Amino acid sequence: MNAPEARLDAILASGRLWRGHGRERVPGTLSSGWPALDQACGGGWPQGALSEILSARAQGLSLLLPALARLSRGERWLAWIAPPHIPYAPGLEARGICLQRLLVARELDARARLWTAEQALRSGACAMVLLWPEGVDKVQLRRLQLAAEQGDSIGVLFRPLRDARQRSPAALRLRVTPPGPSPEGAPAGLDIEILKRRGGRGGRHCHIRL
Amino acid sequence: MLWLAVYFPGLPLRVFHDPGRQPFALSERIDGRERITRCNRRAREQGLYPGMPLASALALCGGLRVRPRDRRAEQALLRDRAQQAYRFSSRIAFDPLCLLIEIGASLRLMGGLEPLLQTVLAALCEPGERARHAVAPTPGAASLLARCRPGTRVLRREAIREALADIPLARLSRDPRARRLMQDIGLRTLGECLALPREGLARRTGPELLRHIDQVLGLAPDPRPAWRPPTRFEQTLPLCDEIEHAPALLFPAQRLVERLARWLRARDGATDRLHWRLHHRARPPTSFDTGLLAPDREPERLLRGLRERCERLCLPAPVTALGLRVSDIQPADTPSGGLFPAPSRPDLHWLERLYNRLGETCIRGLRSRPDHRPEQAWQWCPPGRSEAQPPRPGAQPLWLLPRPRPLRERGLQLLQGPQRIEAGWWDGQDVARDYFVARTRDGTRLWIYLDRRSGHWHVHGYLD
Repeated sequence: MNAPEARLDAILASGRLWRGHGRERVPGTLSSGWPALDQACGGGWPQGALSEILSARAQGLSLLLPALARLSRGERWLAWIAPPHIPYAPGLEARGICLQRLLVARELDARARLWTAEQALRSGACAMVLLWPEGVDKVQLRRLQLAAEQGDSIGVLFRPLRDARQRSPAALRLRVTPPGPSPEGAPAGLDIEILKRRGGRGGRHCHIRL
Repeated sequence: MLWLAVYFPGLPLRVFHDPGRQPFALSERIDGRERITRCNRRAREQGLYPGMPLASALALCGGLRVRPRDRRAEQALLRDRAQQAYRFSSRIAFDPLCLLIEIGASLRLMGGLEPLLQTVLAALCEPGERARHAVAPTPGAASLLARCRPGTRVLRREAIREALADIPLARLSRDPRARRLMQDIGLRTLGECLALPREGLARRTGPELLRHIDQVLGLAPDPRPAWRPPTRFEQTLPLCDEIEHAPALLFPAQRLVERLARWLRARDGATDRLHWRLHHRARPPTSFDTGLLAPDREPERLLRGLRERCERLCLPAPVTALGLRVSDIQPADTPSGGLFPAPSRPDLHWLERLYNRLGETCIRGLRSRPDHRPEQAWQWCPPGRSEAQPPRPGAQPLWLLPRPRPLRERGLQLLQGPQRIEAGWWDGQDVARDYFVARTRDGTRLWIYLDRRSGHWHVHGYLD
């Protein structure tokens, strides 16, 4: 390999330059555990940044389960802030999530949710922070993004579909929809559209089987 | 035996939380008139002095604030000081505003009298406070000397008589009859009194005064009830100015927490639960707890909980006094004053902040329980306290609805099931249900059940 090519490889590996086809892995991501999703969004959940999952009825937790299962064996906490229903403990254990480092913040109003999420992201003590906000504006998103950078934490926001049009500093935005009418016996799954990603263009689709 | 007497003349003022910016005085009813008995520096600068009638004081000094003297609170504060002293001696007794500590047994341990005095006095006084002290072989003599001749050290019993010779008799006895008699026969000092024939004096004054003198001189025993430190910390700090905004509570609270920290250090203990009580003028007090995740005794960390709480606390009425109670004492696990500072635990600090700001009911961990009924199969618990349970058969949802809702969706596909759960007849919450996983038309999966008693279908959870 000659010298200019080696230099180009170094630049590409640093992640500052991206190629139009967007197939390469972006550094600083945590594999989601779904190969199709990893390929579509450049490696998985961006570390030290916000990700957004937009869905009609607060769906999409399934996407996080493999990553949660892996992270739950570590030292850092997994914070769930204002989940819409009760996280079912036996169900989580059945999916390999260890509950020892799980933290649920509940019965919070809109402001307290954001405050708690920011504290959790910034502390550096949380590997992943899941937040179901009750309305969040651009400034608040920016604060959360900065907190995630500071604490090197993965922040995941679950937002309604209508927020897809709002601009957001999140590094990854996914629209999640159920696959619609399926024939008898077809496996369950989710359709995912990448709205925004680092190191590539949005607009790609993928399907995962649950 | 050797007794150290420490006299705290400023204690009556210390009882109140006085920032010292305005003239402040304590009053007491003496011979039927309200008089000033103690005043702070600002008040003295304005010309006030102890003994001045209250009316003249108020006339002289416009912005004077006056509170009645609170002897019970003084006693409590003195007992608090006694707990500090308990580190150095196990024999402690009280005189009014005066602490008596037997130090003869601790001299060698502390490396002599001077190092001992320095350590003890530093431990007993709050910042900016001056105490007077004296050392004598009897508690009575030490107490008298601390009041009248601070700094005196009398090490031998024979020397007491000489050291006390010029002390005014008025200091010795509070009995008004004896005091008047002494004046009438022209006695002013203890020395003059001791020079008289003993029998004659006894006939004139009665036996009490003589016995008292004998005790002071060490000729008669002077038994003092042994004091033992209490097993819980409870203090109330009356406030000079009523506090209307919660953040202003931190300043007086700091003082309480510092006392608590010293108390804990003296007992080699730590605590993780502080019970605060805010007293109001005409309302029941507001009380709440603040907690730490691990027992601690550093004032800054103990106070952190209140700081969080104060940021969002809304006071229903102005606060007139602040109380702090700690009844749960645990052994401290960190050695005090180590060579290297203990590593800080950032994740615990973060959790403590959440706890104190949001309350314990909002920050929970999850654990599963060995029960087949979904309602009983899980439980909230303190974060980090869950244990793994063996996996259970059947499909398990991700989300559970707090209460099952009637099934409204139509055109469902059953994917999995039935899983029959029939349990709980023993505790009156028995269920007889067949659980299924069903897919709706748009492809989401529900966890539904057929109630076999009523025949109705319900949704109990989601799988996506």
